[in-house]
Order: sequence, then structure tokens, then C-alpha cells
Amino acid sequence: MMSGLRMYGLLFRASIRSRMQYRFNFWFSSVMTAIISIVEFLMLAVILLKFGHINGWSLAEAGWLYSVLSLSRAIYRTVASDVHNIESYLVSGDLDGLLLRPIPVLTALMSRNVSIRFGEVFQGIAILTVSMSALMREGQIGWLSIPLTIFVIIAGALLLFSIGLLTASAGFWLTRITELQNITEDAARTAVQYPVSIYPRWLQGILVGIIPVGFANYMPGLFVLRGDTGWWMLPLTAGIAGALFALALFVWRFGISRYQSTGS
Amino acid sequence: MKPMITVHQLSKSFRSPLPAPEGPFRGLRTLMSRQYTEKEAVRGVSFSILPGEFVGYIGPNGAGKSTTIKMLAGILHPSSGVVQIDGLNPHRDRRQVARRLGVLFGQRTQLWWDLPVRDSYDILAAMYGIGTERKDARMDELADLLQLGEFMDTPVRKLSLGQRMRADLAAALLHDPDVLFLDEPTIGLDVVAKRSIREYLHNINVELGKTVLLTTHDMDDIEQLCSRVIVINRGTLGFDGTIDELRRRIGLPTLIRVTYRQTPVWPPADFNTDHTSLRLAEVDGRMLTAECNREAISAMEALRLLEQYGDIEDVHMEEPHFEDVIHKLY
Repeated sequence: MMSGLRMYGLLFRASIRSRMQYRFNFWFSSVMTAIISIVEFLMLAVILLKFGHINGWSLAEAGWLYSVLSLSRAIYRTVASDVHNIESYLVSGDLDGLLLRPIPVLTALMSRNVSIRFGEVFQGIAILTVSMSALMREGQIGWLSIPLTIFVIIAGALLLFSIGLLTASAGFWLTRITELQNITEDAARTAVQYPVSIYPRWLQGILVGIIPVGFANYMPGLFVLRGDTGWWMLPLTAGIAGALFALALFVWRFGISRYQSTGS
Repeated sequence: MKPMITVHQLSKSFRSPLPAPEGPFRGLRTLMSRQYTEKEAVRGVSFSILPGEFVGYIGPNGAGKSTTIKMLAGILHPSSGVVQIDGLNPHRDRRQVARRLGVLFGQRTQLWWDLPVRDSYDILAAMYGIGTERKDARMDELADLLQLGEFMDTPVRKLSLGQRMRADLAAALLHDPDVLFLDEPTIGLDVVAKRSIREYLHNINVELGKTVLLTTHDMDDIEQLCSRVIVINRGTLGFDGTIDELRRRIGLPTLIRVTYRQTPVWPPADFNTDHTSLRLAEVDGRMLTAECNREAISAMEALRLLEQYGDIEDVHMEEPHFEDVIHKLY
């Protein structure tokens, strides 16, 4: 019997092979996503350049916040591709087919329609490199920040995945969850692309306490970039990501057992 | 012999919001409504299937067929009752049961759409933990049985329906499951393809001893393949027995068409009241059509009765179509 990870790897590769059957689309969409991601950041950069800083955060710092989040998201969406698209499975009844396989439904869903987000990864690394080298030149951060940044990116990916999984689990009851995803995934994530301190207190509270995307970049960023707070911020970030992940898995499993399916 | 599939007092009801009564803003009020309606899709169904049986599971649309099958496959969990496949609970032990179960959906493929057929089998073999040697041996058997050789390297999306059905059947059998669920396996196939698939299915059951549960709307499938038929209607079991028993229960008559040498003497008006097991339906020139209940009167006796009205030149007997039997049952 295949172990979970090997099974995932096998399905993942099969999914890629399926995609590569359509060569033009594969390369074209990778290039397009890269361009779109870069343009998105340029819009932010233009604003920051004009004002020099945003709420006390310099352009380089804002670039770090932005790219760390971007890379976390790219990892999450590459590793767990179709979890985000669960609504189409629920509406069409295709989830049934997955339930007939001797593998966990989550594994099956994560490995379908895989698209390695080269574009976003490229953009994220580019901006991150530029931002961090600028900060290092100014002496604001040292070499230690590199492994710390990688840690933050991975924790952030787990955090985003957990939020996505929780939202997807809601689909077992609600079926149509696009609007919910707009809030928990898209809106929340877009909000933390900018330093959270620019928002009113109540919104900050939401972004850190209720949908804790703030912990994907801003909160650990306080420590890594500025030395604020303390070393405890890093295990706290990992702890929150882990706890949310455990909760998400629990709700997911519960949702599967309550699954109602379509008519035929 | 221990049954392979057991279903006992199985029930499933679905809750859905009650639509608000007619009036302004009905849609909005429905959205806010806290009232639910319970729909009982399946009510107290019980049956058991022994290993090696080929059972047809039929019912009109909306009868609760798919719901029962989904509970058997572990996709839905029952509201109440017991479901067991080979002693296991398909909902609780989903993955274990999945290894013993092969499912064929006529309307949907379980193969990887964009990849060559061969790749799907490789992936499935890995999924079910089948080693390379065993997989190759199995593939040879199945390729032989189902004639897959010609399209093993073709992407699934390019296969014809008949080819895809065969490929899907092989996929369902690859891990050598004890139980097969077939859902509309001959839908959309031409006459030749239907016959071949039926032949394969028959062989699989007879030679490999698989237990098969077939759901279909094609009554020829049932007639040719199934030793036993279970009928579900409006959520409850309507009938459970052999096809012959079903015919007898419904009691549709055999039609006897007799052609006389000359126009027959018109039978007396009270023929039908005198005879209960033979009924005259119509007379058309030299041809007389009679309905005969074969339980009560033998064909020979019926013919002897009909001979009274003239010299019989030709006889044509028609058994009731199975479809008509089912129609009456529904």
C-alpha cells in the first residue's frame, strides 16, 4: 500500500503530465501569470515611490511583506490546487468519484489540476531579493533574516492552506462557497499585502485575530525586519498556523461524513 | 454462505429548506426561512446478496436507486439502518471497502481524461497497491478479455464510447475486487457494442465469480444478465426475486396470434366470460389474437380451443416484453 505522500506525489505528477498535453497553454499561462503578478506589484510600488513610505513602512519593507505573502500563496496553491475549486466538484457531483478511491479525499483533491505557479514564484523571488538586498545594504537586517524569511514563507503557506481548507469544508454544508472564499481568501489576502498598520484598529483585529492572515507576513515581519516584539513571535506564528491546520483537518473530516451529494 | 452485501432497514432522508408560500419576495423569504422539509429518499430497505450473484437493481427515476447505491459505496451515510459489504461498513471503513469494490459509471469515466489509457492503469495500480508484476499479469488478462490492445496508448478523451466503456470496465476490475457496481454500463452503445459488453459482464460473473449489482434502465441488460431482480419504488422495496417470479407476479399474458385457412367462424359473444385463462382480443380477417395466461392453461389446450373456430394455418406466440412487465410494476 502506498504511503500518503508517495500517492500524492504520483497523482501530482500525473496531473502535471495532463497539463503538459496542452503545451501552448502551459507555457503561455505561466508567462501571463508572471506578467500579471509583476504588474500588480508595480501598482503598489508606484504608490510607495510617490509617498516614500506607507505608515512608517519603507518601500523595501513593503516589498518584503508583499513578496513573502505572494510566495506563501504560490506554495499553497501549487501544493493544494483543487481544494480551492471544491465548489465545482460539489455542484457537479464529481466528488463522488473521489470518494470511491482508496485514498483520502483531501489527497485526491490536492493533486488534481495542478498548476505550478512559475509566474508567481518568479515574481515573488524577484521582489523579495530586491527588497532584502536593499534592507541589508541599509543595515536594517542581517544574514540571519534569510532562513527566518524562509520559515515565515512556509508557515504562511500552511496558514493560507488552513484558511482555504476551512472555507472549502464549509462547502459540505453550503455547497456554493465562492462568496465566502472571496472574503476569507481573496479579500483578506489582498488586505495584508499592505502593512496592516494602515488599517483602523477593528480591521487589524480581524486580520490578526479572526482570519489571521496577518500572521503570514506582518506579525513575523515586525520581528524579522525591525526586531520588534521578540523571538517568541516565530514559534507563535508557527503555532497559529499549526493550530489552524489541525482545526481545518478536523472540520474537513467532519464535513466529509456529513456529505450529502447531488441527485444522481 | 456469508452474504457479500447486506442491507438492513436502510433509510435515508434529506433535509432541505421549505420554500416559502406564494407571495411577494418569495425567493428572499425562502432564503430566510427556518423551516425544513424532510424528504425520505429510502425507507427501510432490506436485502442481502450472496457472493457470485448477478443482481439487477431497478426502479423508476426518483425511486431511491442512486441513493441506495451511494450508501452501499460509502459516499453517503445512512440516516438509519445497516449497510455491510463483506462484513465492513462502507461509510466508516471507506478506504478498505473501496479496495474490494469496483465501480463502473456508464455516464462518467473514472480514467484520467488527458492521459493515455495505459497511464490510468499505472496510476490505479499504484493507488491500490498492486505491484508491477501483478499489474502486468492482470493487464494482460484484461486486455485479452476486453480487447484493449488497440487503444492502450490513446488519450482517453479520444476514445469512442464503446472503447471507453471497455477501458472503464478494465479499470474497475484492475484491483480484482470481489464486488462490482455497474451503473448504466450499456448506455449509448450500439447494438454490437452492447452485446459484447454484456458478454464480458456475463463472463466476469460466471468465470471470475464476481458479485455484481447492476442498475440500468435497459431491460434487455437485466433480462440477459441477471438471475435476480430487486425493484425499488418510492423509497421502498417493491420486489425481490427471480425474473420468472416477477413475470408470474405481474401476470402479463402471452399473446397468441392464430391465422386460419379461411375466415373463422365468429366465436360466441360470451367466449370471454366462459373462459378466464384465454381471452379473445381481436379478430382481423383470418387472424385472431388471443391473450393467454400460461399459468392456468397450457399452450396446447389454448390452441385446441381456438381450433374450434377453423383450421389453423399458422401460429405465432409472443411472450410479454420484460419492459411491459416492469412498466406495470412501476
